[in-house]
Amino acid sequence: MASLSIRNAVKRFGAVEVIKNVSLDLNDGEFLVLLGASGCGKSTLLNMIAGLENITEGEIRIGDRVVNDVHPKDRDIAMVFQSYALYPNMTVEKNIAFGLEMRGIPKEERNKLVSEVATMLQIDHLLDRKPAQLSGGQRQRVAMGRALVRRPEIFLFDEPLSNLDAKLRLEMRTEIKRLHKELNATIVYVTHDQIEAMTLADRIAILKDGIVQQYATPAEIYNKPTNVFIASLVGSPPMNFLNARLETVDDDVVAHVPLTKDPDGQKLDLSLKGYDSDLSAYIGKEVIIGIRPENISYTEEPVKDGHEVVQGEVDVVEPTGADTLCHIKWGINSVLARINNRIDVAIGDKFNCAIDMKRTNVFDKKTETRI
Amino acid sequence: MSNLDIVRPENSSFQWVGRLLIWSILLLFCFWFLMPAYVVISTSLKNLEEIRGGSLLALPHELNFTAWQHAWNQACIGVQCTGLQPYFMNSVMMAIPAVLFSTILGALTGYTLTKWRFKGSNIIFALILFGCFVPFQVVILPMAQTLGILRLTNTVYGLILVHSVYGLAFTTLFFRNYYVTIPDELIRAATIDGAGFFTIFFRILLPISPPIIVVAVIWQFTQIWNDFLFGVSFTTGGSQPLMVALNNLVNTTTGVKQYNVDMAAALITAAPTLLVYIVAGRYFVRGLTAGSVKG
Repeated sequence: MASLSIRNAVKRFGAVEVIKNVSLDLNDGEFLVLLGASGCGKSTLLNMIAGLENITEGEIRIGDRVVNDVHPKDRDIAMVFQSYALYPNMTVEKNIAFGLEMRGIPKEERNKLVSEVATMLQIDHLLDRKPAQLSGGQRQRVAMGRALVRRPEIFLFDEPLSNLDAKLRLEMRTEIKRLHKELNATIVYVTHDQIEAMTLADRIAILKDGIVQQYATPAEIYNKPTNVFIASLVGSPPMNFLNARLETVDDDVVAHVPLTKDPDGQKLDLSLKGYDSDLSAYIGKEVIIGIRPENISYTEEPVKDGHEVVQGEVDVVEPTGADTLCHIKWGINSVLARINNRIDVAIGDKFNCAIDMKRTNVFDKKTETRI
Repeated sequence: MSNLDIVRPENSSFQWVGRLLIWSILLLFCFWFLMPAYVVISTSLKNLEEIRGGSLLALPHELNFTAWQHAWNQACIGVQCTGLQPYFMNSVMMAIPAVLFSTILGALTGYTLTKWRFKGSNIIFALILFGCFVPFQVVILPMAQTLGILRLTNTVYGLILVHSVYGLAFTTLFFRNYYVTIPDELIRAATIDGAGFFTIFFRILLPISPPIIVVAVIWQFTQIWNDFLFGVSFTTGGSQPLMVALNNLVNTTTGVKQYNVDMAAALITAAPTLLVYIVAGRYFVRGLTAGSVKG
């Protein structure tokens, strides 16, 4: 296994810049997820690491070696594709062994390695079948087997789960995570599914228009998203955003959230005491307050320590089983709260919401970046 | 509810009349198209007296293959009375290598133009495609000069070259359209696995190409076997292909016109293409439509 280092990588197709100055570092044995919507450049970046696309500017290192001009087969990488890309004319066994055969590994050793990998992935009973005779999940396993058998420095996964149904996707997700731990492999994984990214990654790089928006651990991305784009991309149901103005009241910073259309009308005061960065430069300015649905909870007391208690009216109730999603009206604002399913709520109920202010994010209204 | 209007009432007299009309028209056309085939086959089995005496449509009295034998090894083609046999061999010697060359080269160009795209590859494909629309007559003169320079005039090798080059446009088109439906990820996976240009072609693409190979082979074989113009333009005498020989056989008359021999000769000439269609015909339609729909 090896570390991966991308320095100021740029990719242009003609005049179009698809990857704009991307720099990422990944330690040996870490799991990196490239997350982004389609067209953000995440697959292009993966192909650049693989060597299937050349690098216009910058440098990619695998271990200590600059691989910019190294042929894909000599980069010591393996890739799992979205469509699996199994060789349709070959049996499962030959599919897995093909890469070894191309590298001139003798047949006996090949057979040994193939059967090891097949046992690990529980596909040893399928070795004589052709890809067309396999189910989606089995094909997925074969595609992973083809990558695993070579024991490469880095594994590259290009949306490997997106062709599977929901249940299998969960199963395979766990499997990939388990394999990562077992093999202590360095993995780069491309997906547009934020839950996949959160569950699998040691580190997530969020891409938009070829630029890395944030490169951090899943927890940091979830709790301290660097901008509104990331805050709304990660997390399901998405974060609530409220327009507010910061003021000082008794030496504390308070966010005034208007409850009416009239700017001088009634306001909600949310104390930002103890916020993790200095807000003094934003006093008197417009900001966006971001609150995750699970940080709004039901409370009976009018005051709760570290929380702001706000009364609201329930607009829509969506039970999901484990939790109940409540759309609550605070004046002109509508927020989504994720509350315990044991709490009985109905449309029209007035209810006290406790907002966990320690987990609140404040964004600059103009630049949409986190303060 | 489903749309009941389109479900017709059963057994109405209207329907019977319609059916009858359709069937009679179909039968009429069936006879119409089979008639020439019937006349050719039955005439080839008759002797000359039967032909002169009986009706054109009458069945032969007995199965008499002397006309076939005559056409095969006795009939006079020009001044040589060798029958079609040597010319048949000429055609085989010409058609088989030409079909092989044009199919293999077409597969390679189709593969390159879809999976190893380079700057200008689309223009090259358009130019190759243009070759499909160039009529035979246009290339005769430059081709004759080329064959002259290469010293291949009046040889079977010359014809092999001509047909390989001319067929390349069609086979490239077939293979390109087939390979364009094969996902590029397959090539990428193989590249990462360490396979090169030819390994990917021979180990991965060629094994999944039989449907389109059948199409290319049938198409090329029919074109090359049935070609008259190139054969008559670039060869003379003993190196002529079968199609030219058939023409000469029919036009060589010594005394009585032997219709039965002419018919037998025509059938011998047509037999190989017919055989190819019977053997591989069902793959032909399959291959032609392959890739047009996913699944």
